[in-house]
Amino acid sequence: MGVLPPDWALPELSPFNEAWFTSGELAVQRCRSCATLQHPPEEICHACAAMEFEVAVLAPTGTVHSYTVVHYAANAALAASLPYTVVLVSLDDAPHLRVVGNLLGDSPAAIGLRVVADWDERTADDGTRILLPQWRPET
Amino acid sequence: MRGAAVVVGVGESTYYARGKAPETEFQLACIAIRNAVADAGLQLSDVDGFVSYMDRNEPVRLSAALGTGDLNFTAQTFGGGGNGAGAAVTLADAAVSAGYAECVVAFRSLAQGQFSRYGQAGRMRRASGVAAYTAPYGMLTPAQTTAMQTMRFMHDHGVTQDTLAEVALTSYAHAQRNPRAIRYGTPLTREEYHASRWIAEPFHLYDCCPENDGAAAIVVTTAERARDLARPPVAIVAAAHGLEHRDGVGAFGDAHFPTAHHRHVGRMLWHRAGVRPEEIPVAQFYENFTGPVLMAISEMGFCAPEELNDFVADGGIRWPDGRLPINTAGGNLGEAYIHGFGNVVEAVRQIRGESTCQVPGAELSLSVSGPNYAPGSAVLFGRR
Repeated sequence: MGVLPPDWALPELSPFNEAWFTSGELAVQRCRSCATLQHPPEEICHACAAMEFEVAVLAPTGTVHSYTVVHYAANAALAASLPYTVVLVSLDDAPHLRVVGNLLGDSPAAIGLRVVADWDERTADDGTRILLPQWRPET
Repeated sequence: MRGAAVVVGVGESTYYARGKAPETEFQLACIAIRNAVADAGLQLSDVDGFVSYMDRNEPVRLSAALGTGDLNFTAQTFGGGGNGAGAAVTLADAAVSAGYAECVVAFRSLAQGQFSRYGQAGRMRRASGVAAYTAPYGMLTPAQTTAMQTMRFMHDHGVTQDTLAEVALTSYAHAQRNPRAIRYGTPLTREEYHASRWIAEPFHLYDCCPENDGAAAIVVTTAERARDLARPPVAIVAAAHGLEHRDGVGAFGDAHFPTAHHRHVGRMLWHRAGVRPEEIPVAQFYENFTGPVLMAISEMGFCAPEELNDFVADGGIRWPDGRLPINTAGGNLGEAYIHGFGNVVEAVRQIRGESTCQVPGAELSLSVSGPNYAPGSAVLFGRR
């Protein structure tokens, strides 16, 4: 399966997503007032309306909730990566939270496949170091 | 509110393959609007309002270019992509029913040849906001995001690939009777469907709408004004748009993932109309891709998701003998992809008795807008 080019669409960091994309852990946004978890992070807690957040580090394991195998290049820069697999992973520690990533390795994706997180180290064009969460089949 | 506002005119430009329109997108908008107003037997100077969704062609420009009357109402819905088509009709209905305007044009013009293609993405170096969680993984276009939703939906409810195929084959079959359709004269076989290349699994090429250039419009006015006009008025029996709590989270975080955003819309629509899904003889279901059509059929209450394979089997959604013929002009797949507004025009034509796949005596006609982008919307037309 294809791997996307190293300079393709790296996340623009913000106070809301910096931990998720730089810590090398599944650093999920947690409300400081009521402990509600939100992913992707939001600017306000949907449960209690608080705006102060902390990070909860969740176990890097989950189950494939859905996936697609992409066979066409939406941009020419992705043509050499075809086909590539995008998975939506339901986290073991918070099954209602779903995380997008590529499935690395050659195993075919399937709903229900057990996966573990892995981090892809990238450097953005402004020198920012990014640790991009990805997924591999559990061995 | 029921029946206070009526549709008195429909019009469209010629529909073109992407990049083949000799006109600009703005010119296409003007052509469709002019045709709809003429169809109604009205003058452009009678038009006092415009509504749309995701459209670049602003009423400020349209009004100046077309020579409308003074504008009394303009509005466009938030978000929703093609799911805004029914919502735009809701706005027209609201404006006319409340008396803010008397003659409102609802329209959509889309020239993917002149502007960016929905199936493509720019060369992206950085992604921000919710896209930061999807774009780095090559999750970029509607085909891909909708594939992710459809894959889970098929898994949960045992929906088969052949059921997806039936949605595509239905649109292409109906397009063979419609000379306006881009696919007129170019039928599709089940073998060609299954042999076509993958785009994003579970979507083959023919599960995906084309990219086209064109425009479509309707004219909405009061029932009173309609009495003197050229065409029999078509009532807006009910319209609805909205979404359920926490279904707009993004990056597949929706509370009800996977959803077409039509459970809530369906409940509102049937309640307002005072009718049940089984009373509907004909419907248009926006096909950006085949999977969302199936999700919307079940969410609107026509059958349980587990019953979808049987619902579409044996010509169940085909004209003339199906229990619910859908996409009777060929839909987005076969007629043209004008962000679903062609489906609204076709739903009106079914009430007028002018469809090329006419359901005899149809007294109610449903158009369900672009599934899988929130908020959802739908509109039910009927005989006045």
